[in-house]
Amino acid sequence: MHADQLSWSESTGWHPAKADGAANLVLFFGTRQALACGNRYHELKGIFPHAHILGCSTGGQICNDEVNDDEIVAVALRFVDTRLRLAREPAPGPEHSRKCGEAIGKAMLADDLAGIFILSDGLNVNGSELVAGITGVIGERVPVTGGLAGDGALFQETLVGADSAPTSRIVGAVGFYGTAVRIGHGSAGGWDEFGPRRSITRSRGNVLFELDGKPALDLYESYLGEDDVKGLPGTALLFPLRIRNPKRPDHDIVRTILAVDRAARSMTFAGDVPEGWVAQLMRGNFERLAEGAAKAARQAAEQITEQTGDRIAVLVSCIGRRLLMGQHTVEEVEATGFEFGANVPRLGFYSYGEIAPHGVSGVCELHNQTMTITSISEAVG
Amino acid sequence: MHKLFARQLAKVKAATGEVDLNALGELVTAAYEANDRDRRRTDRSIARMIEELDELNRGLERLVEERTAALREREEQLHAQNTRFDTALNNMSQALMMFDASGRVVICNPRYHEMYGLPRDFVQPGRTVNELLEYRQRNGTFLEDPKAHLAKMMEAMGEGKSVKRLLELSDGRAISVVMRPMTGGGWVMTHEDITEHRRAEKQIAHMARHDALTDLPNRVLLRDHLAQALAGVPRGEKVAVLYLDLDNFKSVNDTLGHHIGDELLKAVAVRLRNCIREIDTVARVGGDEFAIIQVGGDQPTDGATLARRICDAIKAPYDLHGHSVMVDTSIGIAISPSDGTEPNELLKNADMALYGAKADGRGTYCFFEPAMDARMKARRSLELALRHAVVNGEFEVYYQPLVGLSDRRVTCCEALLRWNHPERGLVSPAEFIPVAEDIGLIVPLGEWVLRKACADAAAWRPEIKVAVNLSPIQVMSQNLAPVVISALAASGLPANRLEIEITESVLMQNTETTLAALHRLRELGVRISMDDFGTGYSSLSYLRSFPFDKIKIDRCFISGLGDGDDSVAIVHAIAGLAKNLGITTTAEGVETQAQLNHVRALGCTEMQGFLFSPPRRLDEIAEFLRPDAKRDARTEAARRSA
Repeated sequence: MHADQLSWSESTGWHPAKADGAANLVLFFGTRQALACGNRYHELKGIFPHAHILGCSTGGQICNDEVNDDEIVAVALRFVDTRLRLAREPAPGPEHSRKCGEAIGKAMLADDLAGIFILSDGLNVNGSELVAGITGVIGERVPVTGGLAGDGALFQETLVGADSAPTSRIVGAVGFYGTAVRIGHGSAGGWDEFGPRRSITRSRGNVLFELDGKPALDLYESYLGEDDVKGLPGTALLFPLRIRNPKRPDHDIVRTILAVDRAARSMTFAGDVPEGWVAQLMRGNFERLAEGAAKAARQAAEQITEQTGDRIAVLVSCIGRRLLMGQHTVEEVEATGFEFGANVPRLGFYSYGEIAPHGVSGVCELHNQTMTITSISEAVG
Repeated sequence: MHKLFARQLAKVKAATGEVDLNALGELVTAAYEANDRDRRRTDRSIARMIEELDELNRGLERLVEERTAALREREEQLHAQNTRFDTALNNMSQALMMFDASGRVVICNPRYHEMYGLPRDFVQPGRTVNELLEYRQRNGTFLEDPKAHLAKMMEAMGEGKSVKRLLELSDGRAISVVMRPMTGGGWVMTHEDITEHRRAEKQIAHMARHDALTDLPNRVLLRDHLAQALAGVPRGEKVAVLYLDLDNFKSVNDTLGHHIGDELLKAVAVRLRNCIREIDTVARVGGDEFAIIQVGGDQPTDGATLARRICDAIKAPYDLHGHSVMVDTSIGIAISPSDGTEPNELLKNADMALYGAKADGRGTYCFFEPAMDARMKARRSLELALRHAVVNGEFEVYYQPLVGLSDRRVTCCEALLRWNHPERGLVSPAEFIPVAEDIGLIVPLGEWVLRKACADAAAWRPEIKVAVNLSPIQVMSQNLAPVVISALAASGLPANRLEIEITESVLMQNTETTLAALHRLRELGVRISMDDFGTGYSSLSYLRSFPFDKIKIDRCFISGLGDGDDSVAIVHAIAGLAKNLGITTTAEGVETQAQLNHVRALGCTEMQGFLFSPPRRLDEIAEFLRPDAKRDARTEAARRSA
């Protein structure tokens, strides 16, 4: 595999302007504002006419040790022994997420399917259902990684482009086929549990109504204080919710908030919050979050160390982490660099949800508030 | 330099190395502000968390208090329950023990060491069953080998079965031991002293087969013994059954009371026991009836010898609480195999022979004869017919006139019961009256005759009385006077037109009740006659015991008047005596003119007999008694003598 990183900025345009025209896959991440016009996609299509082009809007882009809000970051990959297949499905609303996932699963299904990288609309999709739809078709053996598109801290509209100009309500995915490709993955949070354990007493799908019989939004507001309440739903990311099936206490999942309904006193999360599960607020500090990112990088890096040729790491980190860390955000990105080394290019984005196999169960699912890393390489010869 | 500041500095440093101080200030300020915000959030969230945890803690404290209170309550309940359990355990009559799976005592109540005389501190939790059994083996309350016993017991309980054993101790106690396996290993064991229970069972079994009063075998055991005797007797050997009852036992009961009657029965039982051999059986089969099984011997000789010995033994006087009592016994004897080979058959035939003995005169014995059976059957048939007759109204009252010897006018008519059986025809009163007496029909039958006679006589001329015979049983019944009063009232017949005839046998039951009843009737104006005088004991003292209005001289004296025997003297004496006492005398059974002449000459007041008139049906007697009837005593006598 050969990899070329490139970037775009208002002032300089695409850099480097010339690249490997034989690349067969381009991944790109940028702000909604930068992508919405569709020109950047068409420019990329012009540069890489033979490539599938997959990208999305973000809450910030990652390029090696940098985090920025201005540039578009991209990587062009040329696989030697690996076939690719791209799928694009509309995502009209959260209730259609499982069907959407099933459609993608069917489009990808093949005996030598080695992995799927998926980018989904970040506001109109129930990520848990989407992943369940895919794994329901392809099984749980094939890793599915990726994330939900972001919209900074605005939570208004997210865009996904998959061999098309980026638009809202789209799910795009690329499947990797053959025995040569290696897909590694790692996912970790680094958040600390905080406050009493609570019981989810009322919920429906990814909408949480009550914790311990009291409105969930009341609880969040009491923790946030007056100023931060105004910043909802973004500020709720400061206190992610860890949920756990009481029958499987070692299998916990972190959920991040997508929206609030002040009238219904409910909160919508990026994945399911089942009734009867145990919930606990979490909070983070910079060092622990950076350690979490390093842990994810370690897991992903270990799976591609033996490969020849280029290797890349696609970092999908949660917007909540960035909101909390502010100017310290870069520290978690730097931490991943220590694990991969300088010769593994890293790019990625801050997302509204991360997708990767669970560290304990190995079942692919939606994560929140994590750093989730997909490492890609190809064994050649 | 701080890592963040270094990054900030790098960010604002131009390629020329020039630092944009304004941009640096903005970055540093933003970082400070972010830090302040973060600190405030942290403070706030920690404060909130403390509040929440505090609230949670209070909730937990409340919960702990509630749970502690609930726990305390449960402990108290448990304690009370344990106290009750201990009380129950310590006061139960059974010994109860629980052993764990390794055979060690878990629970043991005091009854156990009391029952087997073990030291209290020896029987404590932790003690093995083997140690207990070895101790008991030494003190003699366990007679088996402990190890072998345990192995056997464990095997049975290993299959989940309960084990039940009966322990016979050398001191005579019987202990019922039950072992039940418990779930989770171990077993529970109860020991119950059933000595008393078994004794009571034996007692009950004895009572079921013995007579409570005399402790003799009862009918059930008698039948068993007889069956055994019949089955066990060698070929050619015989078994005799003697069936006996006491003559006039009822009068002993009636005159001296039941407690004396019971004493008599006990005394009789002792004498009977003394009359027989060890191998024979004497049983009380009910009331005053006894039966004896005599095995082997020379029959019928030995049976007769035994019967005589019993008759003699029984009739010796008894001294019962100061009362001297004498009774006789009648005995019926049946001998196997000639009189039957089955117990029931032998007993029945002996009973029949007893009837025969009674018929022969009491105080004697009688062997069974096949003819008795036929007689008995005939009698049963008669009894049955008699009962039907009452229901079907087969009885009729005939009247025979009594006529004055001086004026030859009818003074009275004697009511005579006739039974007109649809097939047998007229049945003699001599045949059916004793049967009616035996089966208790005489009282209702006698009452019917009394009412009918009163009603019939009420239609006759006022100077003619009606005479009604009463059996001893009727006279002794408590309600004689009320029945007579009722019959008179119902018919409208004046009391002085009713004559009640009783025989000497009534006075033989000379109880106060009998005499009181007769006096009561006499006070009403009813006349009382002594019937069949001279046939019974003919004790003149009876005439002194009650002021009779009339004596009826039995027909046997009248029929003998022409034969030159004692009859003339007797009739003369009775008539003379009666005349002196102011009592009317009636000569019964006058059939010839010569007899009429005799009785008139001997001083009798009245006569009754075929010479004047046979008993007549009601319609005939009514016609006969009409004032204008052409027949009078003289013409009738003339007709008959012609």
